[in-house]
Amino acid sequence: MNPRDLELLSAYLDGQLNSSDSARLESRLASDESLRTALDNLRSTRGLLRQLPSRRAPRNFTLTPQMAGIKPPTPRLVPVFRFATAFATFLFIITFVINGLISLSAPSFAAAPAPSVYSAAAPLSASQESAPAAPAPALPLAAIVPTETSSPRLMSAAPMLTQTPMSSGAGASPAETSTPEIALKSNAPQVDHTQSENVQRNESSLPFDFEILFGILAVGFGITAWILPKNNERSFRKKWNKK
Amino acid sequence: MDEPALIQSAQRGDLDAFNTLVLHYQDALFNTALRILGDDDLAADATQDAFLSAFQHLNSYRGGSFKAWLMRTVTNACYDELRRKKRRPTTPLEPDTDDGDEMDSPRWLADPHLTPEGQAEADELEHAIQHCLDALPVEFRAVVVLADLQGLDYTEVAAAIHAPLGTIKSRLARARIRLQECLQGFAELLPAAFRLQEERS
Repeated sequence: MNPRDLELLSAYLDGQLNSSDSARLESRLASDESLRTALDNLRSTRGLLRQLPSRRAPRNFTLTPQMAGIKPPTPRLVPVFRFATAFATFLFIITFVINGLISLSAPSFAAAPAPSVYSAAAPLSASQESAPAAPAPALPLAAIVPTETSSPRLMSAAPMLTQTPMSSGAGASPAETSTPEIALKSNAPQVDHTQSENVQRNESSLPFDFEILFGILAVGFGITAWILPKNNERSFRKKWNKK
Repeated sequence: MDEPALIQSAQRGDLDAFNTLVLHYQDALFNTALRILGDDDLAADATQDAFLSAFQHLNSYRGGSFKAWLMRTVTNACYDELRRKKRRPTTPLEPDTDDGDEMDSPRWLADPHLTPEGQAEADELEHAIQHCLDALPVEFRAVVVLADLQGLDYTEVAAAIHAPLGTIKSRLARARIRLQECLQGFAELLPAAFRLQEERS
């Protein structure tokens, strides 16, 4: 049997022939025994295939949000915390830079503006060693000063103490950058002013407090912004699994 | 089941709606994959891949028979599985003899259809048909599975296979003839099935 006739028989079996082709084939079938046998064989084969038992799916193929790549909606507070983190980080950097600039522009106060915990303590220890006559404020921070960082500051602080006259007027000025100019006017060392100088430096280290505050806020907001979606996702999955 | 509404919801990302459709069609997709691949595990993998792909590309469904559209995804998943299988063919570990040489024809590597157990399995209609389906070229197999096992009409098969209607007609006719010839070899093993043929002829 030629392939064309087989195609015709197969399509006829499925009712896919148009009426004219169908009528032509039927007239041939009436007269052609082999064509009828071929059609019956095809019908039997199709019948066998249709008898093939349908299996049940071995498991459910439903998708989980994880499989489908669906993420739970972001909690509304997350963007707020993200913005707060960015803002606190920005303020932290600003205070960090300001402190850095202060320390660079006033090398004689190198000990004061260092952007770290020991920065406030450095001048205190410096004054203790370079001016033993001065009353040394016993601050606990001095105890944690690392020796390697305090040593160079001692060197830079020593000439300053011998050169800074610190009149009472100058002492009232909070501007650190103006202090070296005043110091140049007089060469007389005034050890008695060391304490007021320390107070000044403590005042000048106010940004340092802000630095810590902004740093803590940035970390706190950041952790919150990170934890919130995680918790939300966990509860979303729990809720989905309960379904 | 309001299928159009479920499809619309699923297209908007409603996973619950999509999973309702999954539960409705999973048997059909699994059976299609099983008959094309001839392996339960591969068929399950292909079915899962097909549903995942269907969800991801649901927006490309533009109406018409949703079953045919799903059949297209499962057929593609089957082709992928077959390509993967071809790339990484599983080579059986051949046992060594006492001399350290590989055994040429260990008993357990023999054709399962030739063993008594295999013969017994081949007695069953399902195994005989699956055996003959496996012998078909994959493009013929897909057409005959979709048309005769899943009951899709020619237009739906053409959409699922992404081939012209004439190709579908031709492949289906040739697949049926090949299956018929193959099943003749099981005539004695499958008397009930072929009695049906005899009665009709």
